[in-house]
Amino acid sequence: MSDYHLYLSLIPEALIASQLEPKEFGSYYAVGRSGRVFGEAIFFELDPAFRSDDFAFDLADERCVTQPDGAPKSSVYLGIYNVLARIPISALGKLYLVTDDGRTLELDRGDYTPDREHPLHLYQEFCPKRPIVASRLEPQAFCRSITDPKRPVNLPRIAFSDLMLGELAFDPMNGKADDLPYPYIGHLRDVLSDFTANTKDSKLVLKHVREGVLYRTVQSGFFVGDHDHFAYYPFPTREELQSTYYDWWRSAQIAHFD
Amino acid sequence: MNEPVFWLAPLASIFALYFAWRFFREMRTQDEGTETMREIGAHVRKGAMAYLRQQYKIMLVVFALVAGLFSYLAYGLGVQNPWLPVTFIFGGFFSALAGYFGMQTATLASTRTTAAARTSLAGALNVAFRSGAVMGLVVVGLGLGNLAFWFVLVDLFTAGDPGDGAYLVLVTTTVLTFGMGASMQALFARVGGGIYTKAADVGADLVGKVEAGIPEDDPRNPAVIADNVGDNVGDVAGMGADLFESYCGSILAASALGAAAFAAEPAMQMKAIAAPMAIAGLGILLSVLGVFLVKTREGAGQKELLGALSKGINTSAALIVVASAAVLWLLGIENVWGVWGAVVSGLVTGLVIGRSTEYSTSPSFKPTRSIAAAAESGAATTIIAGIGVGMLSTVIPVLAVATGTTLAYLFASGFDPTQMTQGLYGIAIAAVGMLSTLGITLASDAYGPIADNAGGNAEMSGLGPEVRERTDALDSLGNTTAATGKGFAIGSAALTALALIASYIEVIRIEMIKAGTTMLDLGHGFSVATADASLLDFMAYYEVTLLNPAVLVALFLGAMVAFTFSGLTVQAVGRAAQLMVEEVRRQFRENPGILKGTSEPDYERCVAISTVGAQREMAIPSLIAIAAPIVVGLLFGVAGVIGLLAGGLATGFVLAVFLSNAGGAWDNAKKHIEAGNHGGKGSPAHRASVIGDTIGDPFKDTSGPSLNILIKLMSIVAIVMAGVTLSYTLI
Repeated sequence: MSDYHLYLSLIPEALIASQLEPKEFGSYYAVGRSGRVFGEAIFFELDPAFRSDDFAFDLADERCVTQPDGAPKSSVYLGIYNVLARIPISALGKLYLVTDDGRTLELDRGDYTPDREHPLHLYQEFCPKRPIVASRLEPQAFCRSITDPKRPVNLPRIAFSDLMLGELAFDPMNGKADDLPYPYIGHLRDVLSDFTANTKDSKLVLKHVREGVLYRTVQSGFFVGDHDHFAYYPFPTREELQSTYYDWWRSAQIAHFD
Repeated sequence: MNEPVFWLAPLASIFALYFAWRFFREMRTQDEGTETMREIGAHVRKGAMAYLRQQYKIMLVVFALVAGLFSYLAYGLGVQNPWLPVTFIFGGFFSALAGYFGMQTATLASTRTTAAARTSLAGALNVAFRSGAVMGLVVVGLGLGNLAFWFVLVDLFTAGDPGDGAYLVLVTTTVLTFGMGASMQALFARVGGGIYTKAADVGADLVGKVEAGIPEDDPRNPAVIADNVGDNVGDVAGMGADLFESYCGSILAASALGAAAFAAEPAMQMKAIAAPMAIAGLGILLSVLGVFLVKTREGAGQKELLGALSKGINTSAALIVVASAAVLWLLGIENVWGVWGAVVSGLVTGLVIGRSTEYSTSPSFKPTRSIAAAAESGAATTIIAGIGVGMLSTVIPVLAVATGTTLAYLFASGFDPTQMTQGLYGIAIAAVGMLSTLGITLASDAYGPIADNAGGNAEMSGLGPEVRERTDALDSLGNTTAATGKGFAIGSAALTALALIASYIEVIRIEMIKAGTTMLDLGHGFSVATADASLLDFMAYYEVTLLNPAVLVALFLGAMVAFTFSGLTVQAVGRAAQLMVEEVRRQFRENPGILKGTSEPDYERCVAISTVGAQREMAIPSLIAIAAPIVVGLLFGVAGVIGLLAGGLATGFVLAVFLSNAGGAWDNAKKHIEAGNHGGKGSPAHRASVIGDTIGDPFKDTSGPSLNILIKLMSIVAIVMAGVTLSYTLI
């Protein structure tokens, strides 16, 4: 049994071995050892027993060891491309959301109940691509659809979150969108209203999100899955964020400049 | 001082200081909270005192040099009032003392406000507001007390016949020199404080929030304490010194103009001098009453909190209307209802300016909302919209001041335009009316930074959400009162400066007589005794007309000085903030433990950088403000000085309203978006609004308020240097 942790990072996609505990790793991954870099991150902690021929675990065994000065090894990269597709959902442990300044929120897996309340949905994908997609499918159905191997265009596995649409979920053209931080609201309305005249299940809204994770409008949580497997990580309620997880939430709300 | 009503002033001053002491003592007995809260409070207090120490050190040198120069002019060359070196030092000392008490109280009170907010909103409001009242009452108590003291002292030691009309003109114009010290100290507090507060704020935000991505008021930010200190430096010490100067200046100008207006009736003269003092005294009593009326219930909303404050302020204002009528009637002043009408004109002008500021900067109204809507199209349109709103926001305040001064002039002159001195006395007493309830209006200004710091303390101490909710409610209320307070400060500065310009001629008269010019040659074979000359005679003698190129040139120079001063102060914030940015970056770079929360940042170094930066950066703008009336006086004479003051006042007033309101509107447009409009927090519109807010910061907290000082300082410098102008002018 190794004495290091395995982390599957979604932003950016990578498999990393580290002797740091998850929260320490989150801080290190976001701001570096000297606090000279800043950048948010999302990563899973993997089952430590997970092994696969796709990755050079011997490299981790060799290099992910305590340093001569007694410090733990922070990171040994085992893969930086097409990683999510090569790790089964069963190997995924807790999910960690890390803000720009290295504050980490730990999410456990939860039981998933299909969302039947909203007729329309908006998804922010994190891995392997980073678009925003509108869909008439609820999260699990969306995941199954986009990872369906029978479809000519598909992904092997996907990680995403569902975003609030407010009144737009019910009335795309006239619903109030005042508190929605998405750029091009007019375009979003067009895309959503197109579902009434179109048989498509999902449509691209934005090719790439520059703003980072839109935590403020995460509706129910984070999802990862493929055509056969699906995992759900519930996001805390607004009340919990403002009380129990206040420090993380406050940090996640900072407006950053590019 | 044989007018019994006059003694209301010193008595009210003692009353104000007693209640200030009582509120201070009450505050000290409140719980100071946990050790962390006390520690954070101590950091802010230490930083605030470090700032004051540094400022006082520089002030001491500057005051010593200027007092030395005044002494030489007075005793060496005989071209200066011999009282000036002494009154100058006293004016500066007492203004600084008021600032010191205010800062001490505010920094002690914020921790206690946080502690009170742990259990009660009403309790927290009580601690914060009554602590703010300490500043308000100390300013009016020390201000009015000093004026009364100097009137009595100068009266005792001035040679002459008290029955002679010229005697009291001499006494009042001598006491007017007290304003110079207050003005100079206000320059340090307002301009230096304004640069300090924004350098710390912008520096903390740029590296902390934008670069490092750590939230506001996060203890890991090395500039966070400097930022909290800055709130006190700008809105407590700065605002206090600004209004101390306006308060004293308006009373002094009214007394000088009152003495001049009734020079032919010595019996009425003393009543005209006592009237502004008595109204100010009554204002103090009613302000204390108003402070006791500010109360709220547990769980009160924003509207109720604002209602609680308004109740105190409005009751004081309503009662002063009635009480001033009574005191003027008891005094038996000539044209009692006309003078009372002038007082009411001033009060109403202040209220209109306050409301207009609220309209222009509150997210509840169209102007600010239009900026928020413009943010949807990006930063450029946000900036354009903010500038437009700021410019348009000058309409109502300017019309209010124009209407107020016209009415005050007409009421006091009995609707007889030839009674110029009575009319000008009306304008000065209108300024006194506006500032009469300063005790409570300044309390609501000084309350703002206490509530703001209390919120910061709650954040840094990691207190629960219910505490932050309470401190946020108090802070939000403080933002509203701060915006209206700025409008009030600008309006009162404009009226005071106008009254001071009118007083300038009275000082010129005294200096001319002293220099031996007993007759004014008006040309065409007409001449008039200087002692009996009317203001129009002086205007004719000095050719103060728009056809005189000296007046025209100086008008342009006055306008230019206002813009130069603003430009320099805006740039000063940029440079001082840059130093802060570099320091915060250095600390993050050299001590990685800061961001991880394992080691404490060097807060004191940031406080020192902001302090030294502010003092250095204020030197050139200050020098311009002081030198302009002297240089113009030497080059273009009395006519030039009047042109300069008129140009500076007209431009400075409008520019100050524009800068303050544009900055306030940008700030609140951002808050409106954050409240869930136009995409809310994190949206492109929000980013654009953050840029607008950052540009608006030095507008509303540095350059805008600093212009109040410029317009008053130029007038008071012109007054005290009148003898030099007369003796050494080239034309």
